Amino acid sequence: MRISRAIAAALVAVTTLTGCGVQAPVEEKNSIVVYAGRSEELVRPLIDQFEEETGISVEVRYAGSAELAAQLLEEGKNSPADVFFAQDAGALGAIAKAGLLTKLPSEIYDLVPTSYSAADGSWVGVSGRVRVLNYNPETVTQLPASVYDLADPSWKGRIGIAPTNASFQAFVTAMRVLDGDEKTLVWLEAMKQNAVLFEKNGAILEAVEAGQIDAGLINHYYWFARAQEVGLENMKSALGQFRASDAGNLINAAGVGILKDSTAARKFVEYLLSETGQAYFAEETREYPLVEGVKMVDDLTPLSEIPAPNVDLSDLDTLDQTLELIRQAGLI
Amino acid sequence: MQKPPVALIAMGVFAALASLVPLGYLLIRLGSGFDKALAELSRPRTFELLGNTLLLTVSVTITAIVIGLFQAWLVTRSNLPFAGFFAVLGTLPLAIPSYVLALSYTSMFSWFSGFFASWITLSLATAPYVFLGVSAALVRVDTSQEEVARSLGLSRFRVFTKVTWPQIKTAATASGLLVALYTLSEFGAVSILRYDTFTRAIYNAYRGSFDRTAAASLAVVLVLLTLIALYFERRVRNRYLSVEASGRRNLVELGNWKVLAMTMFGVLGLFGAGFPIAALTGWAFVGSSRSTWGELLSALGSSLSLALLAGVVIGIFATAVALWNVRYGSRFSSLIETTVWSSHALPAIVVGLALVFVGANLTPWIYQTVWLLVFAYLILFLPNALSVIATPMGQVSRGQEQVARSLGLSQVGAIFKLVIPVATPGILAGMALASLTVLKELPATLLLRPNEVDTLATKLWSATETLSYAQAAPYALALIIIAGVPALALNAQARKLASEVR
Repeated sequence: MRISRAIAAALVAVTTLTGCGVQAPVEEKNSIVVYAGRSEELVRPLIDQFEEETGISVEVRYAGSAELAAQLLEEGKNSPADVFFAQDAGALGAIAKAGLLTKLPSEIYDLVPTSYSAADGSWVGVSGRVRVLNYNPETVTQLPASVYDLADPSWKGRIGIAPTNASFQAFVTAMRVLDGDEKTLVWLEAMKQNAVLFEKNGAILEAVEAGQIDAGLINHYYWFARAQEVGLENMKSALGQFRASDAGNLINAAGVGILKDSTAARKFVEYLLSETGQAYFAEETREYPLVEGVKMVDDLTPLSEIPAPNVDLSDLDTLDQTLELIRQAGLI
Repeated sequence: MQKPPVALIAMGVFAALASLVPLGYLLIRLGSGFDKALAELSRPRTFELLGNTLLLTVSVTITAIVIGLFQAWLVTRSNLPFAGFFAVLGTLPLAIPSYVLALSYTSMFSWFSGFFASWITLSLATAPYVFLGVSAALVRVDTSQEEVARSLGLSRFRVFTKVTWPQIKTAATASGLLVALYTLSEFGAVSILRYDTFTRAIYNAYRGSFDRTAAASLAVVLVLLTLIALYFERRVRNRYLSVEASGRRNLVELGNWKVLAMTMFGVLGLFGAGFPIAALTGWAFVGSSRSTWGELLSALGSSLSLALLAGVVIGIFATAVALWNVRYGSRFSSLIETTVWSSHALPAIVVGLALVFVGANLTPWIYQTVWLLVFAYLILFLPNALSVIATPMGQVSRGQEQVARSLGLSQVGAIFKLVIPVATPGILAGMALASLTVLKELPATLLLRPNEVDTLATKLWSATETLSYAQAAPYALALIIIAGVPALALNAQARKLASEVR
């Protein structure tokens, strides 16, 4: 793992050296193409504002993060994209591994704590999301202390998971990094027995809300989005965390990387990490700002108070083995 | 045997080469990791997927053929009351994307998942293909033979299997093939209904692990399955028949079965169309998210123009391939037709990524333009149009064509003055079917559309992605209404034929 990262770093260094020369000035540009794996509804107002403030015109391609990553991999060096704004670290990691991202300048990279960014500086986190237990307070009166407790036969048919979902897979990777493959596999096999399987986090939330299952593992903001759609008072389910440092409390991030370096691309990334950009995501999606010193939305638990496990997001790049375990357990 | 005009050969070869693009891409992907591909294929999971996929494909195909055949027979050959209304009901599910169908069921009944759910959903979604194809063939069946067989004492059932079936076999197996390949490449519904097939595994390989080699090796299996299906279809079907619609005939008296027949039609229509439309209308009233008229109209505009453009292009190529194959059939022409079909079971994401690869690296001047997107639709949906257009191409007999030639018309003149005019309703029906499928298409559209162009399908996708159902509803309803137009045009075509005999 460490070796592959060293190779990746070397690759980035080589491409920078051969591609642009050592101290070549950054290309001046006033229009960029952004591949956005986040929803148009969410991103567009911010981009409109960016265009207005900077005079840089932005052409955006919206699709799922994974589909865009697959598209970028096929396009290779001939991609029309300047910037990739992805929903999760996995999609960015795949692009970085293929050597398609340039190393970010330190004035951008240093804005965000390194645990939410790529270790080799190829991408940087923009907003954080927390894995939570979404539960029905009527049927779940005592919260399980650990995500491992869900393996207990008493949870049979009551807990929802989304094994093909990128956030779930990132959480399983964290579990592997923290507790080892063996323990993870045992848990996954128990989940094969206990869990009701869903395709998406949102579908789990719906099932908990409808009382079809008692609890589910999701990202925190789905609950807030739903509350916005139907009204807080109409929410039947609640959110809970596991005990401190539990893998089930993983903090993950959406992030951004630059494929073709230019002044405009840098300005765009800086804008996402500016006070305006950070506050925007916090308010619109109820995600967490990752740049320090940006004010939080009132009803969210501050990121520092989340009992999250101590995992570096760029350590979650062994998705292959995770998928292998999930398959072995028969969940996908 | 006459030689076909050069233009037909050129267009046919172009269409076949287009279909080979995704296959070539798969070979490149496999070549870059052959050992890995073999390892992927020899996993026990591959066999599990194969079992699942075959089970679903066979069950859906049989069910759709049975449903479609019954519906077609009732509408064209029996004295079913309100046949026109029931014919519309039989076609309507065609306007509803299968992922919308699946979503509307699961949003109501969360237990609705797995094999059973996928089987029901896809059978309902695909039965109209059989209904339309077989109706068009049934009205051409020579009923005098049936009457002779009846008078010789054969039971109604034996008459059907011995006399009628051989005459509609080609249409039934051709539409059955369409259903089978549709099921093989279907992603949206099986993924919502959580049933593991090859196509779902291919999507997950791209999405979960960005593993293009694994995805390609699974996709190659789908191509092999397609070739096997094609082989059987070719074995079963007859040559294209060139029979005129026969004259007025006696309709079979349903008697007491009438109520049962109407109930069956009603129930199928209720689940295939009524229920999803009701569910969508319901979504529009829950929740607070709203979409603006401006966005709706602009998505509607791009959907319409894309569908129209692609429909015309696909229709023209399908006409060329069908003309060549039906009127100047040779080994070469049937090889071309087989090639066109060979990539039809590939999931749209594979075709889309193949064109991303080719477009970005070899033809950047058309990459992310409408033209490459239309090219993708041509690869994806030419077989759909072909299945409708082939039969009408045989309607003008060779004798009639020769008479026209002897009266001084050139070969090309005879095609344009005689064959095409007679086949025009069929060609329009083929274009309608192509436009309809283009309207509903999502994965390739997402990958290949020009930046910042939205269609009804992509808007619907992004709204359901963020679970804003209230916002999704108008797009879904607009899609169904728009797709309803070609669906009804197809139906009108079938009914016009039917009315000639009723």
